[in-house]
Amino acid sequence: MTAAPLDALASPYPTTVGVAASTTDLSKVYGSGDTRVVALDRVSIAFREGEFTAIMGPSGCGKSTLMHCAAGLDTVSSGSVRIGTTELGTLDDRQLTRLRRDRVGFVFQAFNLLPTLSALENITLPLSIAGRRPDKQWLDRVVSMVGLSQRLAHRPAELSGGQQQRVAVARALVSRPAIVFGDEPTGNLDSRAGAEVLGFLRDSVRELGQSVVMVTHDPVAAGYADRVVFLSDGALVDEMTRPTPDRVLDRMKSLDTRGRTS
Amino acid sequence: MLRTALRNVLAAKARLAMTVLAVCLGVAFVVGTLVFAESSAAAHRAAASKNFADIAVTVTPRHVPPGPEADRNARTLDDTLVRKLAALPGVSAVRPSAEGSATLNAADGSPLRARKAWANLADAYVPGEDGKDTRHPLVEGRAPAAGGELAVDSGTAAAGGLRVGDTVTLATDGPVMRKRLVGIVTTEDSRVTAGGTLVLFDRATAQRLFATPGHYTSIDLLAAPGTDRVALSERVTAMLPADRAEATSGAAQAVRQAATIDMQTRGHRKMPMIFAGVALFIGSFLIVNTFTMVVSRRTREIALLRAIGASRRQVVRSVLWEAALLGLAASAAGFVLGLGIATVLPDLLGTAEDPLPSGPLVIGPLPVVAALGVGVGVTVLAAWLPSRKAAKVAPVEALRSSAQSPSAAAFRIRGIAGAGLLALGGGLLVSLTGAKDASVENLQHAMLGCALLVAAMIVLAPLLAPPVIRLSGRLTRRLGVTGRLARENALRDPRRTAATASALMISTALVAGLAVIGDSTGQALDRQAATGLGADYVIGTRGNMAALDPAAARRVAGTPGVTTASAVSDSVVFTGGRVRQIAGVDPGTVDDVMRLDFLSGSLKDLGPGRIAVSNSVAREQAVSAGSRIKAALGRAQELAPYTVVGVYQDNPTAGDVLGARAEVQRNSLLPDTVQRILVRTDGGTVSEAVEDRLRTATGNSPLVQVKDRRAVVDEAAGAMGELLTLMYGLLAIGAVISLLGIVNTLAMSVSERTREIGVLRAIGMDRAGVRRMIRLESVTVAAFGTLLGLAGGLFGAWAVGALANGALEGYALALPWGTLLLLCLGSLAIGTAAAAVPARRAAALSPLEAVGEA
Repeated sequence: MTAAPLDALASPYPTTVGVAASTTDLSKVYGSGDTRVVALDRVSIAFREGEFTAIMGPSGCGKSTLMHCAAGLDTVSSGSVRIGTTELGTLDDRQLTRLRRDRVGFVFQAFNLLPTLSALENITLPLSIAGRRPDKQWLDRVVSMVGLSQRLAHRPAELSGGQQQRVAVARALVSRPAIVFGDEPTGNLDSRAGAEVLGFLRDSVRELGQSVVMVTHDPVAAGYADRVVFLSDGALVDEMTRPTPDRVLDRMKSLDTRGRTS
Repeated sequence: MLRTALRNVLAAKARLAMTVLAVCLGVAFVVGTLVFAESSAAAHRAAASKNFADIAVTVTPRHVPPGPEADRNARTLDDTLVRKLAALPGVSAVRPSAEGSATLNAADGSPLRARKAWANLADAYVPGEDGKDTRHPLVEGRAPAAGGELAVDSGTAAAGGLRVGDTVTLATDGPVMRKRLVGIVTTEDSRVTAGGTLVLFDRATAQRLFATPGHYTSIDLLAAPGTDRVALSERVTAMLPADRAEATSGAAQAVRQAATIDMQTRGHRKMPMIFAGVALFIGSFLIVNTFTMVVSRRTREIALLRAIGASRRQVVRSVLWEAALLGLAASAAGFVLGLGIATVLPDLLGTAEDPLPSGPLVIGPLPVVAALGVGVGVTVLAAWLPSRKAAKVAPVEALRSSAQSPSAAAFRIRGIAGAGLLALGGGLLVSLTGAKDASVENLQHAMLGCALLVAAMIVLAPLLAPPVIRLSGRLTRRLGVTGRLARENALRDPRRTAATASALMISTALVAGLAVIGDSTGQALDRQAATGLGADYVIGTRGNMAALDPAAARRVAGTPGVTTASAVSDSVVFTGGRVRQIAGVDPGTVDDVMRLDFLSGSLKDLGPGRIAVSNSVAREQAVSAGSRIKAALGRAQELAPYTVVGVYQDNPTAGDVLGARAEVQRNSLLPDTVQRILVRTDGGTVSEAVEDRLRTATGNSPLVQVKDRRAVVDEAAGAMGELLTLMYGLLAIGAVISLLGIVNTLAMSVSERTREIGVLRAIGMDRAGVRRMIRLESVTVAAFGTLLGLAGGLFGAWAVGALANGALEGYALALPWGTLLLLCLGSLAIGTAAAAVPARRAAALSPLEAVGEA
């Protein structure tokens, strides 16, 4: 393990100002004894407000686990996770649920819309669960941004994959969360539909000032981000600002080689 | 393929646990009932054959119609004959008896086990050469030796709280007797051990009461060891005066007695059998539904099997094997459970007053065959339909999409078939509302109509689910997004929802129908039985041959708290080619105790040769006040002219004809007796104290019944109690099975929707919200079943009630709001209870399920 370049990344933001979410010395360990697997090894990272961050790395590097932990979907073994200024480790399940509902948005690889609800109902579902009325103006803005105004009454089964994922993006944005997490949001889409969805995510950062964190293994997708962090064997190994697909691809290749030789 | 089936059974064991439970319960009921029936019949047989085990031959007077010949025959069995029989070769002992019946009071003064007159036995204590009666071994005290003494068996003593030295009040057919209890014996007579009583008198007293002095009612002969019983029986017959006495073998008597007792207790087996049938019928929905879900869940797997080359037949066979294995396991478990039920049934059905004979469980081939047939048969049949459907799916199609909704054509066919059944059943029932009598033909039509109605409801339920649930969804939507989601989930697969609700629907329909008919009938009987009764108490007798002393009426009238006591002498009168009931009343006091509504004339002219008739008699005979008719009253052989002084509205208290008491009493078949004393109390007081005083006034005879108004009505509505038990039993069975069904469906749908629930958790629904959503879905399904069941049950009850209207005067549809409300609340409770486990499982799901593998 080469730990030297990591020092530069360790807790670069001592204060929480301008940080949408952060982790400090986050570790995640599965099993014990012989079957002990370290998925995340003391990862410290901050996601800035109004920034589109991509987490990249080879399969099994722990990028999804990092996202699940950072989003409060999974528990951590040690270390801390914050959304804004809230320390997730101190929250019980109800508080955590409320936090996810009000301050976090999700876009999943498998869309995960509720088949019994219409597109509009799916979009406003987080608000309905919270028992709040949607802010009409904001809703219109989000809906028109993802270009779904004509299809709001349709059920998910009547929408294409790209349209379903756009509904999912709108659902993630509708409650004005502090941060939106995307788990391979383009994994189930063809390249055109994928490009659309990535465009919306980037627009949400540019136009709405949204913070977005996306896990992906696709250099093209990563090319939409402002910043790419690279994970390998459960540890942060590098980061890149203003990435391009080519640069990301090169970096990934070197990670792969290192993964094989180590 | 067998191995695949076996693997599936084991792999899906949690999923199929509910099916096993359903089959198991159905089988348990059937087996329990059958084993109970066989065991109790065997216990009766064993007890009866024990009674007669050592009796080779019994000699009785030849049975002839009453008359001088019968009197002569009754004097055939005397001590001379006893001695002659004892001297026959092969006879080891003779046991003469003087048998009859006697009813006695318990220590607290109430009649003891008096409801079964055939089991209130009395006999003579006949000592043998050693001074002991071998049939009745003494366990305490001594044998009755004088007219004022008696002995009872230990069961009777225990039930009545009687101890040696007590004075016991008893009656055989008329006057009350008081005798001292001097001994307690044991008996093996199965009539007594099955909940009867036994009283023993000394020989002379018994002979005086039940035969004539010096004579017996029967003589039992015991055979010496090694004697040919048939030959002995022939020797006895040859010795008897053939026209006066006859001989019966002990074996024949045992068979006869077993049959009698068996018949008397047969009712105990009917109810569990009905429960078993209903449990199985409703349970089969659960089984079919589970298999449909299990198979549709495995459509992909089946398609894969098909894609790699399994034939349709192999696929179907695999599912059928699975069902057969499951059915076998469940039947075995159900069989064991059934034996448990059979063990406890006698305790549940019997009461202290009315115990059932106990004996070892008898397991014949029938329960085994029934268990296998019912358990395996129903399960395999239930699996057959879905497996065929699964096999029909093209492999590619099944691999591509995860769920197919049924085609519109299938729904149309369902709609047409359902509407047809509904039209047929409903039409038949509605057409019956025109019929005004409950003839067998009409009843059969009614049953057919109800069956068609149930079938139509089952077929139509999936089509009715969406509109009905949308309607009820208006309510649940108020509960926010969880209510909305619950509604949509219930609507997702209307067929599954309907099948799940079917169990509850059928049981609700049955119970609602029964409740309405029962309540309406009860109210009608209530109204009818008490019609015309102005008295607060009716004093009567138990059995037809007992009667009251006219002097008792005067004693009752003199009792504190009594304002009027009017004696009624009941008898029969032959007029217009028919035998009718006549009540002889005292015109002076009868107005106080009977409410008579005279259409013409009045009672004040009642007297010898002057009668009043009910409206229906008047119509049939075409008479009115002032007419003259010919009638023969009581024992009178010749018709005599009578003048009709009045016509009154029919009522059961007065009967067909009213006459003057003196005249009726004189001509009665039980001359100079009265049958009823109608009592009015001060201010209509009805209390235990008053009842006790009335009992005392009538000499505390155990044959006398003192009934208040309520008891009179209850007696008339006797069958209603049984209907109520049936209703609540069905309700319980329906509740248990529907609960299982809903749990099953919910568990299945939770495991199918793992990902969706994960998403809901991820985007911010808390555990309580998830639980509430599942619970609401459950309640929605339960409410749907209940609503449909209520509608069907009420319609059926309304239609069948029309028949009752013809058979039962004053029948009107009455809705038992309490019971119906209870049904609705019960369904809510079932819905909530059924959701408990699935809801907890759903709430425990991690939000990470949303990102799990597809």
